[in-house]
Formats: sequence, C-alpha cells, structure tokens
Amino acid sequence: MKLPIRLSKDSREPIYHQIEKQLKALIAGGNLEAQTPLPSIRVLSKDLEVSVITTRRAYQNLEQQGFIQTLQGKGTFVAEISTSDKQQVKIQEVHDTIRQAVEAAQRYDYSLAEIEEIFQKVIAEAKEAGN
Amino acid sequence: MNHLAHITHLEKEIDTFSMGPIDLAIEPGTITALIGNNGSGKSTFLKMIMNLAKPDKGNIKVMNKWVNGEDESWKQHVAYLPQKPIGFAPYNGKTLKKLISGLYPNWDNALFKRLVDDFEIPLGKKYDRLSPGVQQKLNLALTIPRNVPLMILDEPTNFMDIPSKNLLLDVLVEWMENGERALLFASHQSEDIQKLADYLMILKDGVQIGTFEKEDLLERFQTYWLDHMPGEPDSIPGTVSFADGKLLSDNPELTEKILKERNIPWHSQTTLKLEEIITILMK
Repeated sequence: MKLPIRLSKDSREPIYHQIEKQLKALIAGGNLEAQTPLPSIRVLSKDLEVSVITTRRAYQNLEQQGFIQTLQGKGTFVAEISTSDKQQVKIQEVHDTIRQAVEAAQRYDYSLAEIEEIFQKVIAEAKEAGN
Repeated sequence: MNHLAHITHLEKEIDTFSMGPIDLAIEPGTITALIGNNGSGKSTFLKMIMNLAKPDKGNIKVMNKWVNGEDESWKQHVAYLPQKPIGFAPYNGKTLKKLISGLYPNWDNALFKRLVDDFEIPLGKKYDRLSPGVQQKLNLALTIPRNVPLMILDEPTNFMDIPSKNLLLDVLVEWMENGERALLFASHQSEDIQKLADYLMILKDGVQIGTFEKEDLLERFQTYWLDHMPGEPDSIPGTVSFADGKLLSDNPELTEKILKERNIPWHSQTTLKLEEIITILMK
C-alpha cells in the first residue's frame, strides 16, 4: 500500500520527523485503522526516496510512542491507540499549524497584536461561511 | 559489526592513473551506490572486490574471507554482474541458465522464471543475437536468482527501457526485503540512486570523495535566497558560491548563525537535488 506521505525536502524539519508526524496524523485522523499493515522499511524508503536509516528512525520513534507495532516475521502494523492519544496528536498538529502561521506573519514584520487581529478576522470569516 | 564486505586502504596504479586509498564497509540490510565520473575507477574497484583485478595495496574481505586467499568459497555467496559479461555470446539463455545455476546451491528457479516472464526474455535465442537491452535483462535474470547475501551490479539499468527499469527496482527492493542482504551498485542514473541507495560512495578520478548517507548529504547543502546583498559574501562561513542573491552553503548551521548575527535576512531556503550535490562534489 502506498502511504499518502509528502515530504518537503526544503523544510528545515528533518525528514524522519516529517515521516513520523505525517504517519501519526494519518493514524490519529483515522485514515489508517488499527491492524492496518504498513509498508516495510525498505519499500517505504523506495517510495519516499529516502534511506532505510531515515525510515527506520521514524518507525522506531513511532513504535516507542505506541503508534505502530512490529511483529517478528509478519511486518509492521498500526497499533491500537487510545482516544486521548489521538486527541493529543490532533491538538499538537493544530497548534503547530497555527504557530507556523504566526511565524510566517512575523517574518513579514507583523506585530503580535496585528496577527491577533488577522486571526479574529479569519475566525469571523469561518463563522460566516459556516452559517 | 558483521560486514558482508570490508575494504581497507585499497590502492592501485594503472599506467598514469592512480586509485585510492579506498575504504568501504558493507553491512547487511544496506544498499550502496557507487558513483563517479567516467574513468573514475568504479568498475576496477568492483573487479578488485571480486579478485578479478589485483590491488597494489590494501585488504579486501568478503564474507570474512580474504578475496586473494586460497579459499575461494566466498565466491558462491556473491552475485556479481559486470558491465559486459565475458563468454556469454555463443550460448542461448537456456544453456547459460544451466551453466550458472549449477554454481549456486541456493539458486532460486521460481524467481528466474518470473524474471524471464516479466522481462519477456527469449531463452532460445543466442546471447549475441539479443539487443543490448534484452541482453541486460538476461544478465540480471542470471544474477539476481543466485540467492546470495551480497550482490554487486555494475550499471544494472544500462540500456533498459523505463518499464523494465521500474520493474527491476521493485525486484531489487523485494530482494532486499529479508534485511540480511546487501547490494552494491555502480550507476550514473540519478533516479536509481535516489530510489535505491542508502549510502553513496563517490569516486572522482580514482579518489574517494567519501561515503555518505543519502539524507545527510542532502541536508549538508542549503541555498539561501537573501533579501539584500551582504557586503562580502565570501566572508560568510560555509559559502560555496554566491550569485543572483542566492548563497549556497555547505555548512547551513554556521552560515545561518552568521547571517542572523549580521542581520542579513533570507526569504527562502531550498535544498539541492542529489544530482547538483554530486556535481559539486565531483568538481
């Protein structure tokens, strides 16, 4: 199975971390259900055009955090994770996304007060669109 | 560490061309791409591993055996495909298979059949009547099923069409699957290198530039798109080149620190392609 992982090679974020984060998001978001078999390290490395060293690092971290599990001789599978862990990933991802937006605005020399104003505006737009 | 191949301080002189010193350790589970300019000594290096060319200095161990020793049992555990196999010309695929499969006790005949089917290789036709692309497909079908821990391929995708090339990459990935095998391949094809390699060993005119893990190499170079020209770009540490407002660094961490200190902002930052990095390293 091909995983919908897209790496940004220009990002400052290390590649293994990008893989780790996107897999977590796929699992927490329910796109990959528990027991779903994952590609082997070698196959994923070829698909993503990265070394097995990088992929292994991502898998090891995910395994330590309980998102995936490797069964000897059978392969790697999505683990059963608690609702609170899923929630945690979502919170973290939303938080990161907003933080990145704030950083982008700061690079354009916006003050925090101005950014807050923009944020309120975006929220107001979303409310309007929702009704 | 249990190496499948271990090469230390290898040196060789051929007329005016001198190679080395070259060091390389091949671990199980890894794919190493051997990259170099034309005439950089890639094929000679592979031949030395196979004891088909003699080094002047240095040591080579394959499967923990000296390759120039009395005991040649290690050869059964290595599948080597040179650029041009010698002696194939008068035989057809059927005969070649009979000859070669007999030399390798673990020959995987099911895999051989599959490769012959998938690559549509005519086994009844004499080798020298086949096109270079089909010859290469047959070469590979006679090499991969040897079912050994170490495979050494000299420019495996030469002459191959795009679908067969993709098929080969999948076969090689599958071959690596058990994690105990290793592949060393010489290549000029950046796509093959990008998709297969964990490590890149780079040779330039016989000199080993280094052996790098792929992502390490990619992270090593960064281009900074600067908002304004710094006074003296050359004084910024890590600078490889500076043109059109773009600063290329081979030490991003240090370069960024100095750019920040000197208040030189950048609006974008990009990595180089593997091909571009190889070009810089081989300059």
